Amino acid sequence: MPIMRTCVRVIACLLLPRFELAVAAGGREGLMGEPAALAPAPGREQVIGEVSAGAEAFGVRAGLRLGEALARCPRLALVPPDPAGVAEAWESLLARLEGMGAAVAPERPGLACFDVRGLRGIHGGSVEGVLGAARRALRGASERPLAGARLGPRSAPGGEVAGARLGVAPSPFCALAAAGRARPRRPPVIVPGGEEEARAFLAPLSVALLRARARTAGLSDSFERLGVQTLGELAALAPGHVADRFGAAGLHARELACGREEPLRPRRPGERLVVGLDLPEAASGPQLERALELLVDRLLARRERGGRSLRAVVLSAALVEGGTWRERVVFREALADPVRMRLVLAPRLALLPAPAESLRLSVEGFGPPAPDQRRLLEDGAAVRAARLREAVHQARAAAGPEAALRVLTVDPDSRVPERRAVLAPFEP
Amino acid sequence: MTGPRRLGVPYPTVVRAAQDGRPLAVESHEVDAVRESWLVEDRWWTDRPLRRRYWEVVTTDGRDLVVFHDLEADGWFTQR
Repeated sequence: MPIMRTCVRVIACLLLPRFELAVAAGGREGLMGEPAALAPAPGREQVIGEVSAGAEAFGVRAGLRLGEALARCPRLALVPPDPAGVAEAWESLLARLEGMGAAVAPERPGLACFDVRGLRGIHGGSVEGVLGAARRALRGASERPLAGARLGPRSAPGGEVAGARLGVAPSPFCALAAAGRARPRRPPVIVPGGEEEARAFLAPLSVALLRARARTAGLSDSFERLGVQTLGELAALAPGHVADRFGAAGLHARELACGREEPLRPRRPGERLVVGLDLPEAASGPQLERALELLVDRLLARRERGGRSLRAVVLSAALVEGGTWRERVVFREALADPVRMRLVLAPRLALLPAPAESLRLSVEGFGPPAPDQRRLLEDGAAVRAARLREAVHQARAAAGPEAALRVLTVDPDSRVPERRAVLAPFEP
Repeated sequence: MTGPRRLGVPYPTVVRAAQDGRPLAVESHEVDAVRESWLVEDRWWTDRPLRRRYWEVVTTDGRDLVVFHDLEADGWFTQR
């Protein structure tokens, strides 16, 4: 009889509870015992974001309307959201995990999974060895405080990132449950075995755990109302009955409870290219557009771009009234033309909820090298422009990115002369 | 992250001034005439206010210069 081998997955989950709140509050120390919550984003629906443990004690939870949250806890501290800081801190943590060889599948800021199997060979041959390497990789990382370092890198204190929890299990959902039961600075919770062991581990846990998945988040309350309190009870239901009542989302929830889940989809590690500009005074309107023009030119002039076009960028700003703003823009086609980039990005500045103190433009995805096709019938102007581009390219190769600059008028009507114009990279 | 290079950045200079603040000499060049003077006050609502008394002067060797007295830091600067 042939030997049957089953491929058992070993998924590790990194969980950082209240990650967005901790970043916006400048670290977890500020949340100790105090009822705090992420304030609604300016111009968005008036519901609060993540809440601290102190706020939960008052019955305040994420997604509550602001008025109701304040009625339940009058001394609730509202922390301005910091989406740019969250993205930066999260990216830094993911890059650290990828640095140890992990193919990371991030789900949301504060929650990511990776497959352990391929890493055992390079980290001591055991799951514990891989988790030790992950802990070492996270050591020195921090949830970047906002105050004093708006939109800028922050040197991290020593020690592992605060609140990090690790769990290992045969499925991502079970690994998340294991990480949820782990405690910071304690050994990780490891669920060995396969699907059956995962199902057994999940069985006594509450169906509230389904809120962690976007597809099943709305089902847990319904399950509880119907008397299905645990994942074990859900797994024991007949698939047909679940499908009748809850449709595809219900079947998915049952699969999760049974320890079954689709394979991870790791992200493709990318390189970071960022340009930023501190605005001397709170800027809006035409001044911001000038600043954007400058940032686009500087981004395209960066040597690291290597002639590639840009597929997706992130525009972010630190707001004068506190907090940050972040807008991801995916171009319809990969661009390397500053004029077209400005045409796409400039309207996004109108979405800024308040004047900005600093503006930042970062590349999230590169496209193919910018096409430099010749036209069938070249006119004199095109030939001259091509020669000029080549001359600028060669000058930059020899003398650096500042070899070709142009005067860019930023605030021509300013009474302070040094605010009127700056030198920006010349893009012919 | 490096910032863009600004144009028209002020540079410190040596100015001998009269009691009323009027420049008498800029870097040892005597002032022949004061063409214009104006006051710039800005960012007074921040902790880094800006208060400058500008002077456009012509020196005896024929140069037209713009200098200002920083009323916050008490220093003289030249600016193009």
